Amino acid sequence: MGASLSNLTEGANGSSMGPGLGDIPESCVACVFLYLTPPEICNLARLNRAFRGAASSDSVWEAKLPSNYHDLLDLLPPERYQNLSKKDIFALLSRPVSFDDGNKEAWLDRITGRVCMSISAKGMAITGIEDRRYWNWIPTEESRFHVVAYLQQIWWFEVDGVVKFPFPADIYTLSFRLHLGKFSKRLGRRVSNFEHTHGWDIKPVRFELSTSDDQQASYECCLDETEHDDANGNHKRGCWIEYKVGEFIVRDSEPATEVRFSMKQIDCTHSKGGLCVDSVFIIPSDLKERKRKGILK
Amino acid sequence: MASSTSGSSSSSKVVKIRSSDNENFEVEEAAAARSETIKKLLEDVGDDADVIPLPNVDAKTLVKVMEWCKKHMDDVDELNKEEMKTWDAEFVDMDQSCLYNVLLAANFLNIKELLDQLTQKVADMIKGKSPEEIRATFNIKNDFTPEEEAEIRKQNAWAFE
Repeated sequence: MGASLSNLTEGANGSSMGPGLGDIPESCVACVFLYLTPPEICNLARLNRAFRGAASSDSVWEAKLPSNYHDLLDLLPPERYQNLSKKDIFALLSRPVSFDDGNKEAWLDRITGRVCMSISAKGMAITGIEDRRYWNWIPTEESRFHVVAYLQQIWWFEVDGVVKFPFPADIYTLSFRLHLGKFSKRLGRRVSNFEHTHGWDIKPVRFELSTSDDQQASYECCLDETEHDDANGNHKRGCWIEYKVGEFIVRDSEPATEVRFSMKQIDCTHSKGGLCVDSVFIIPSDLKERKRKGILK
Repeated sequence: MASSTSGSSSSSKVVKIRSSDNENFEVEEAAAARSETIKKLLEDVGDDADVIPLPNVDAKTLVKVMEWCKKHMDDVDELNKEEMKTWDAEFVDMDQSCLYNVLLAANFLNIKELLDQLTQKVADMIKGKSPEEIRATFNIKNDFTPEEEAEIRKQNAWAFE
């Protein structure tokens, strides 16, 4: 610490070259790191010993962690993070940390260090879930929670959930991840089956969210297309779609924000079915925007 | 070379600074005071300052730094923001040894905004490059053994998953 990188880039600069940017003082290197993302900093660690040292310093990584990263660590047993450097803590938290009986996960976006969250259908209140004529749990690798709720048919469709968490200040987008139709693998190929899929083109599903500080948002949408145009295919069937419910703003991680969310179609004059419910995502809005624009990971 | 006084604003005070290679410069105080180091020296010596010596900065670099300071002497209004951005982008577009010297000078003279712009420039030169390309760009020698390199790759794998 405190030493410049200069004496360590030994032989880096031939006498004809004069000093170069490998020789800038460590305090300036720390400034450069402020403009770089964690993967870029990890790249620098591979340059040489001096850069590896600079790229591992706690001050560099503290700046990349959210100010309340301790709240995320609190979800883990202490032995998992005791004595870890800030860099290792960032690496630890960039992998999903599960909580609430494994039904919720929070993690840091690797590029921006911002907090993302996902809530499994397992962690939601689903009307009629205990009745196997209505709902079934289907194990699948297509869910980060390895299981989705499959609706065969029902009249009163309602899914509710809540999460309370000290989200750091940001603007978040909440969305439901749904799949119209049942899917399976046959001879290594993924096939969708729509034998139960019905009723979603009649009336829209209403999505809602509200927060403990009285922010509200809602969105209505028919999950299926009314006209089955065989030529163009149906773009709402056989794929995972994230339905954006709305956004909410967090100004401070204290007090913790409670977010309630729901999805309903309770017009009991018709039944509906053939739908998989995976999870709810809560992701910083512009991060979501960036992923949508093709930098998908 | 020795004088870089701006003739237009006759009312503003002028201070004298001296580079490490003993060249004297006359600079408007408002420009020189962009440097916290010079500002503090001026406050310490008061009005009877003769020449402020800057033993860490050579003339060529000092000219460059003062060019930036003069441009950033006054507060920028909204209208000029875009123009200033373009000017700044052109300013930091210099060869590596020059960039290195100006960066060291900005660090020593404690000109935070300039230092931010220069470190941002260095970061931009790093972005999107592989370690091999960065080594080549900055002429940095790899002093790892192959075993160490493999180990580091493993340690940092999480960032690229």
